[in-house]
Amino acid sequence: MQSQTQYTGNSRDGCVAGGNMPIALGVTLIVLMCVVAIMAPVLAPFNPSAQSSEYVLKGPGPGGHHLLGTDEYGRDLLSRIIWGTRVSLQVGLVSVLVGFGLGVPSGLMAGFLGGTTETAIMRLTDMLMAFPTLLLALLIVTALGGSLVNEILAIGVALTPHFVRLAHSLALTTKTHDYIMAARALGGSSLRIMLRHIFPNTISTLLVVATLYIATAIRTEAGLSFLGLGVLPPTPSWGNILSEGRQYIKDCPWLTTFSGLAIMLAVLAFNLMGDALRDVLDPRLRGE
Amino acid sequence: MQQWRAVGDERLLQYVVRRLFVTIPMLLGTMSLVFFAMHVLPGDPCMAMLGDQATGQALNDCTHQLGLDRPLLVQYGDYLWQSLHFNFGYSLLNRYPVTTYILQMLPYTLVLVLASTVVAIGIGLPTGMLSAVQRRNPLIDYTARVIALLGLSMPVFWFGILLLIVFSLHWDLFPLIGGGDLSTVVEMIGSGEVFVYPGDFLAAVFDVLHHLALPALALGFTLAATVSRVARSTMLEVLNQDYIRTARAKGLRERAIVYKHALRNVMIPLLTIIGLFVALAMTGTVLTETVFTRPGLGKMLVDAIEARDYPLAQGAITVFTMIIVTVNLIVDVLYAAFDPRVAYK
Repeated sequence: MQSQTQYTGNSRDGCVAGGNMPIALGVTLIVLMCVVAIMAPVLAPFNPSAQSSEYVLKGPGPGGHHLLGTDEYGRDLLSRIIWGTRVSLQVGLVSVLVGFGLGVPSGLMAGFLGGTTETAIMRLTDMLMAFPTLLLALLIVTALGGSLVNEILAIGVALTPHFVRLAHSLALTTKTHDYIMAARALGGSSLRIMLRHIFPNTISTLLVVATLYIATAIRTEAGLSFLGLGVLPPTPSWGNILSEGRQYIKDCPWLTTFSGLAIMLAVLAFNLMGDALRDVLDPRLRGE
Repeated sequence: MQQWRAVGDERLLQYVVRRLFVTIPMLLGTMSLVFFAMHVLPGDPCMAMLGDQATGQALNDCTHQLGLDRPLLVQYGDYLWQSLHFNFGYSLLNRYPVTTYILQMLPYTLVLVLASTVVAIGIGLPTGMLSAVQRRNPLIDYTARVIALLGLSMPVFWFGILLLIVFSLHWDLFPLIGGGDLSTVVEMIGSGEVFVYPGDFLAAVFDVLHHLALPALALGFTLAATVSRVARSTMLEVLNQDYIRTARAKGLRERAIVYKHALRNVMIPLLTIIGLFVALAMTGTVLTETVFTRPGLGKMLVDAIEARDYPLAQGAITVFTMIIVTVNLIVDVLYAAFDPRVAYK
């Protein structure tokens, strides 16, 4: 009876509200974003930096020249949002790669080797975890100066402690398994065991969480750009379009509305994708 | 029995001391990180203050006056020592003591965090629980999960702007900027004038709440997603427990089971996310206060970074991390007090 109740509960939990729709929506949005980012030069109707005194702060509309309107310099908003997709995706993907690349090896090492290595790595991680992601990224990007590369580095480093923690706990669980003991008994070196046995067995969980962190990275990028600490203008990023549009919210609300919508859809897409992947690949993480 | 309790108390005390010993190096580490990050800044605060046209002599004088020409390690030692005394120096721009500045701004941020917590729990707890209890009703479960996902995906600064467009600009119901007369409220409470002029006090409180409503809603809604998700998964877990089955077997109504038995047990795991929640809320205030042009620590931090005002930015980030570290410490200690197994580990 108990198992039946549990089974029903979990299946409903995973399927009814989930179904295929969220993952389909997530995948569609992500594919769309990738296409838009890659094809930006073809898809954008105008040069995103081209100014036009004739079309300053024109409203959106299907009949006009500019589908989503223009900003205070007469730049086409649709083109800027299309080009902004590149920035967001680049920052989202590359900064998660940076965080993954720095955090996972350190976490696996800490979990597998234990002792002083573990203490040193984990104490440093605890220290970095005291900073919320945006605050840490803010601190680093302030120190380095605003640019695309610095922003990626800042967000990547800010995400690192999260990957360290996860990899550490996964390594701790994995290393107790019999096959690790067997590998050790066969004379496998620590490096070999970590690379050939522990890492492959933790990768699915790590990838799921990485997808969710892409959403965090995109949101953090938008936040930094909004605060004027991200990609420098005139390079369009959704955050700085929104920030620039702030002073015109009374008469030209389209500037903030469309750029914010783009941020929300991108974050939503990766959240949906991450959630769906988590349910499929790693039911243990469900609901966390 | 008495002896058992004494042993338990001793363990708890040991745990608290151990936890404190972990917290101190952590605070020291975060403060060092803040200091060194701020001091490898490419910008020059004197240049920021005096402008591009400043002469070399003026820049040198300014650097000397601010103590920025001292060796980095001397500045570092000084910063740590002064921070221990809650003295974060003087703002470079207006020579105002940073601590006074922070103390003025802190109430605005704390009020915002508190109000958005109320909003987050008010939205997150019912939606999360409803979604779990009604998981067989796709419409309710789906709606609740979509609300949670939206909250998770919607940047607070965008939601804030949408609220401003609709409620401040279009309907003119709420103020566009500012934080209200919080200092008057605090002063009146401090001096006891609240009893002498209750009318003025209520007017000031109303003014504060009027300014607080939209920022708290914006930040609270984005935080509600976290509460909702944890509430949902915990509720699902709780509903599968034996005592719920026993309650059902006793013939209790579903409502009584949910409110009397499940709700209390959902609240405890929710406490564990307080640390995470406070961290998210404090970060959220940076963006929320900027969007609503509301005074507070977050806005102060952003302004200080823009102006390259080291001591002010340093002080703000230090206080931010101090709050987060302290909250985590309190949560851990409370947890050990409630659940003795934690202290024994």
